Amino acid sequence: MKQNKGTIGIKEYIALVILTVGAKLSDDTPAILFENAKNAGWIAVALIGLLSVLPILFMLKVFSVHREKNLHEIILHLFGKFIGNIVSVLLLFGGVFALIVDSGISTDIISSFYFTKTPPIIVYSILMMVCAYGAKRGFEHIGTAAWLLLPYVKITLFIVLLFSFGGGTFGFIYPLWGEGMLPIIKTVAKDMSIYADFLYIGLVAPLVTSFKVLKKGTIWALAIVTFEICIAMVAFVMLFDYTTAEMLAYPFHETIRYIHIGFLSNVETFFFPFWLVATFIRFSFYLYLSATLLGGILKIKEFEYLIPLLTTIVILLGAAPESPSITLSAARKMNFQLLTPAFFVLPPLMWILAKIRGDFKNETA
Amino acid sequence: MKQHRWLKIILLCLLTMGLAGCWDKQELNEKAFVIGIGLDKDEEEGKVKVTYLITNPEAGAQQAGGTTKEPPQEIISLVADDFISSRDTANAIVAKSISYNLLSVLIVSEDLARDPNFIRLIYSAAKDREIKRSLKIIVTKEKAEAFINNNKPKLETRPDNYFGLIINRGQKIGMIPDANLKSFFTDTEGDADFFLAIYATTDKEQRDKENTSDDNLIAGEIKEEGTSNNTEMIGSAVFSQGQMIGKMTGEETRISSLLDDTWNAVDILTAYPDPFDERYRLTVRMSKQKNNTYKLTNDYGRPHFEITVPLYIEVLSDPSMVNYAGNKQKVVKLKQYLTDNIEKKMQQFIEKTQKEFKGDTFHLSVPFRKHFATLGEFRDFDWMKTYPDAEVNVKVEIHFGEFGRQTKLPKLKEVRD
Repeated sequence: MKQNKGTIGIKEYIALVILTVGAKLSDDTPAILFENAKNAGWIAVALIGLLSVLPILFMLKVFSVHREKNLHEIILHLFGKFIGNIVSVLLLFGGVFALIVDSGISTDIISSFYFTKTPPIIVYSILMMVCAYGAKRGFEHIGTAAWLLLPYVKITLFIVLLFSFGGGTFGFIYPLWGEGMLPIIKTVAKDMSIYADFLYIGLVAPLVTSFKVLKKGTIWALAIVTFEICIAMVAFVMLFDYTTAEMLAYPFHETIRYIHIGFLSNVETFFFPFWLVATFIRFSFYLYLSATLLGGILKIKEFEYLIPLLTTIVILLGAAPESPSITLSAARKMNFQLLTPAFFVLPPLMWILAKIRGDFKNETA
Repeated sequence: MKQHRWLKIILLCLLTMGLAGCWDKQELNEKAFVIGIGLDKDEEEGKVKVTYLITNPEAGAQQAGGTTKEPPQEIISLVADDFISSRDTANAIVAKSISYNLLSVLIVSEDLARDPNFIRLIYSAAKDREIKRSLKIIVTKEKAEAFINNNKPKLETRPDNYFGLIINRGQKIGMIPDANLKSFFTDTEGDADFFLAIYATTDKEQRDKENTSDDNLIAGEIKEEGTSNNTEMIGSAVFSQGQMIGKMTGEETRISSLLDDTWNAVDILTAYPDPFDERYRLTVRMSKQKNNTYKLTNDYGRPHFEITVPLYIEVLSDPSMVNYAGNKQKVVKLKQYLTDNIEKKMQQFIEKTQKEFKGDTFHLSVPFRKHFATLGEFRDFDWMKTYPDAEVNVKVEIHFGEFGRQTKLPKLKEVRD
């Protein structure tokens, strides 16, 4: 009866991470990266991927000695009750903020590209209600759904990229360094938190079958996701050139509206459902993570019951801003800049604290 | 337990209501599908005359009880602020809701395209939610309204069908450029190369002079007879920074396509004077199977571009009855002759772009971007300013393919014997 414990194996774990983090290539993340790095946005992503290895390795090291604890419990253990709770509350704010902003942006995409006449609040409510249902079913279900849907989502993405490469001009990726090294580094420093999800994934670390799976899965997922986003960024530049790509709010959706497959035009209606499904998985997972953290802070064992509450908060706050594509995008940039230091500094800090406390001494391996 | 099951069933029933698609539900026959939008200058400043070409999806469709008698298209012209707001104004006349979902061509009169304010108008296409970037741009010699009214395809009666086919075919043979909204934006914003739009007209020009070549023509100059449609689509309109500055003939468009690597290889049928008998012309089929190579050198501060165009040529006619198949010497001579001829034409074309347009129409800046490390350097190079004074050399490398289906011809002397 291993299944009932709600643990997931390596394939579900990787699928889940790829879907949640990889989905960022289809919202306004590319636009944010293009802003400073211009056509060298893909280099920035590659650098972010490489640099992210550091905090992730530190984090995995800490997890290797606390295999039964999740991120929140480890933070409490390392920082002590008072400071630990403050750190967790800050993380919770960052996470919920990201959830609100990201889901708001997805709603904006749906209502401005596909369902133009439906009131956004209805779109938002339906989106979040589906995600809440998914999150309520638990981690194991989200993981299984992710694994089941992964091939469909990625095959359609592959088709999109293939046709945008076919319709694009390779020469557009030159000049290779975009605006120069400095803007690339600036982009990396500001937007590294596109991978902050990896930090939050620590919240479900004990639910992965074994530490080995966690370690292997995380590294693989990081590599795959980085590769995927890089390729997508190259495809967008090849299709639109840097000047236009930078101005597009949602390059992925402009791409699927532009390409046509043979005699088939208007193919966006074919790709849209797959994107939507990936979006459901992504926000289900985010909701689940936020609920876990909130439950941990408030010491609520059955944290699943927090999900409806969180969903309501998200819908209320996410639907509030005026002209969402501008406001939310600005909010997202801000959130990226706030989360970046957290993502980059927290894991090494945890490692140092664990070292000082001597947690690594009774390490067996 | 039982209560739970009922709850689930009710929930499932409620969910099916979502399948109706909420607010965006719209029946197909409640929509008027606009295929083309025509834009003309209006006397009043800031206003534009919008012409809608609406297709009738029912026309030509076999239905139970015979085909409908409805015409294949409907045309409405009205004056509006832009082609976004005109959508609602049109509803005063059209019963169905106007949809841009199938919009495939934007037809602009030359008069409006040459207006500096044209760019303001066209950028509203980037704002509209239904307009796609694959929208084709056609510039017409006459008013767009007149063009749409005069355009009456005989066999492809539905306009969506007609425009799709003629543009596709024209692009394949290189007579018209691949001109969509995406490249308009990219070229305009890139600020280095010129954008080419399709040039078309229904306005026949009276020309008695015999033309030197079949493709050295621009729309309106083809002498055609018969009962076909009046529309001619050949040549291109040149846009610099979002404003039309000139036009090119079909032949020039073809040369531009051969020099351009961002343009997918085309299949060109054309004729050259026969080197062995001046009275006749030799039909050749040209295509590009490999990419061009580009080289950049600096001649004392003046950039020097070298373009090598590999051409695959099939000689399809042999009016002087030379019999190329068995005659190696003549093949060499022909190759040399064609190389010189094509190189000369390309060089002339480049000169024209440098002197007349003051910019390149074949995306020359794209392959040379490699030579710059950063965008800053590329901008400092100032392509638009540098190109007209640069030295551009074209080299053509010809690879012969077949000499027609039947390679041998009888000797003229023997036949006439």
